[in-house]
Amino acid sequence: MRIVGNLVDWLDSRTGIRTARKHLLDEELPAGVGWWFVTGSILLMLLAVQLITGVVLTMYYVPSPEFAYDSVFYIMNNVAFGRVLRGLHFFGASFIVVAAVMHMLRVVALGSYKAPREVTWVTGVILLLVILGFALTGYLLPWDQKAYWATTVTVNIARSGPFGTWISALMKGGESLGSLTLLRWYSAHVFLLPAALIGFVVAHLYLMRRHGISGALKKVEGQPKPFYPYHALKDTVVSAAVFALLLTFAIMFKPPLDALADPTDASYVPRPEWYFLSLFQLLKYFPGPLEPLATMVIPGVIVGLLVLLPFLDSHPDRRPFKRPAVTGGFAIIGAAIIVLTYLGYKDTPAHADPARWTPLALAGREFVADPQCVRCHAQGGAANPIANTRVTRDQEWLLAHVRDPEIIAPGLRPIPSGAMTESQARSILSYMKKVRSGGTPPQVSEEVATASMIFGRFCAACHTIDGEGGTAGPDLTHEGSRGHDAKWLKDWISEPETIDPAANMPSFLGRLTDEQLTAIANYLAARK
Amino acid sequence: MHSSIGDTDRRKFLSRTITAVHAAIAGVVGVIIGGAISSPIFGRQEETWLPAASLTNLPENEPTPVPLRIAREDGYREVIDRRIVFLVRTSNDQVTALDSTCTHLGCRVSWDADAQLFKCPCHGGQYDQMGTVKAGPPPAALTRLTTRVNGDQVLVRV
Repeated sequence: MRIVGNLVDWLDSRTGIRTARKHLLDEELPAGVGWWFVTGSILLMLLAVQLITGVVLTMYYVPSPEFAYDSVFYIMNNVAFGRVLRGLHFFGASFIVVAAVMHMLRVVALGSYKAPREVTWVTGVILLLVILGFALTGYLLPWDQKAYWATTVTVNIARSGPFGTWISALMKGGESLGSLTLLRWYSAHVFLLPAALIGFVVAHLYLMRRHGISGALKKVEGQPKPFYPYHALKDTVVSAAVFALLLTFAIMFKPPLDALADPTDASYVPRPEWYFLSLFQLLKYFPGPLEPLATMVIPGVIVGLLVLLPFLDSHPDRRPFKRPAVTGGFAIIGAAIIVLTYLGYKDTPAHADPARWTPLALAGREFVADPQCVRCHAQGGAANPIANTRVTRDQEWLLAHVRDPEIIAPGLRPIPSGAMTESQARSILSYMKKVRSGGTPPQVSEEVATASMIFGRFCAACHTIDGEGGTAGPDLTHEGSRGHDAKWLKDWISEPETIDPAANMPSFLGRLTDEQLTAIANYLAARK
Repeated sequence: MHSSIGDTDRRKFLSRTITAVHAAIAGVVGVIIGGAISSPIFGRQEETWLPAASLTNLPENEPTPVPLRIAREDGYREVIDRRIVFLVRTSNDQVTALDSTCTHLGCRVSWDADAQLFKCPCHGGQYDQMGTVKAGPPPAALTRLTTRVNGDQVLVRV
């Protein structure tokens, strides 16, 4: 122990670490500094967790449209504790927004922003904006559907304001949303914003120490106590509880990863994270030329009022009920945000899980066993087995390749006879997408497997089930609830013209065996 | 003997020189960085004609979605943008091409044949089959792309 003591003595003589430690931790706090004053420490702890998990995520993440999605997928499925790591970072973002708002409300409730702490408050408001900047730029990085469409909306919101075209060009980094956008937002998320965050956190803490803690509303009699270990213990207890809650979230819930971004997909219904839902909802009330009111003016006025708060409310009285304008204003804005968030949430449709198996995907699983595919797509073959193949080409190329594997570009020559049908090719694409989104093929009965194959081979050219297939005929997702039983359906599929002479549907009698007709009819009748 | 006035002047001169040199370095770096960051503002889109569909295959007055493959440079890589354009045949040799991008905030609209409306999934914008706004927040009609009919082939300028 003596050696350690000597070493510390020597280090202190050369660096002054004892004085620094004393200066950092031994600040005298007035009596009455209670549990309300732990909110800042919670935020610091959460920000540290984001910083550390973020650094580790960058060891695996690749900021390019070709690999971003796969690298996130890899983190979630292959890296040890990867799912929890991303969970901590993903849910941590929500925790920080909640903690930042709670910290702000505490400062407002106790009037801690008043002189001489105006600049401390302003740095706090800037930190809140930096945190929202992190949330916004973090969105795009997984390059999934949500990332793509939420960023499209954000860039277009920026376009609606003054100098909008320039600002949206700066945000996009290129002609349209693509590799340059991703790199730009990545750079902001991992370099610019962390630099700003660290700078303003240091300034905020320095100013907090310079002016001392604002303390209780009424002076409490008693001896001042040093921060360490008395208040530090309170900070530690609450921070540990919050961290435990965050860890529980990260372990219990899988952080979402939608399907790979697809700029042509009109079926995807994009919704922002919950903390931007109120702004999303606000947009709906200001159509056409009034839109900048919702995108720029109202949020701008709120931020402006926040920055100016200590100068607008400069009376030294800190009691909340002696400041009705401030307390009431915050209550009204808070209530409005809660109501708008609730309305936005109510309007959010249930999201289809990208890894959920549809009949088309089940059919695709059967079709990839075709000798034409397996000839090359096999272990040791010319290409990877299809279950391990990354979808990097666009849809038209893949469809052409599945039907005519030797062609190098779609449209160069007619599809050879005997090739798979287009709906079979679409089935294989659907299968590949499911596998890529982490879906494990479910166990299904033989009849369902047969019905899925029939749907994929014949029906999907005209009909849709679970959002996949053609649109020339009716959607069959809930065919069983349209009042037709399996027998009627079998008759209809076999010979539609005997039921309705004007039917557009072709007859399948002779093309499908009796067993196959029964399988598809039973399957459709069971889809309620 | 030193004159204190001369010393003050010298200090002032030196301090201004230091400031000026630093400002010059910051200025040069600022111009380079500013240029690199804002280069997308000066980017230009090139237009080209693409064959989109065969005229005889287009039903009259019913929007038909057509995927277009547009090759372009995306920074360091070459990509093929897949863009959906709706073609509406209005007479024997007249075709209107509507961009599927909602004019509100850029989401992708789709054609609802039952309601005879284009619908946007983001904020509920609706347009009729010629792209005129019928409901919701869109500030303008769907963008029309220039079309040309060459024999039976419909070409769209993108």
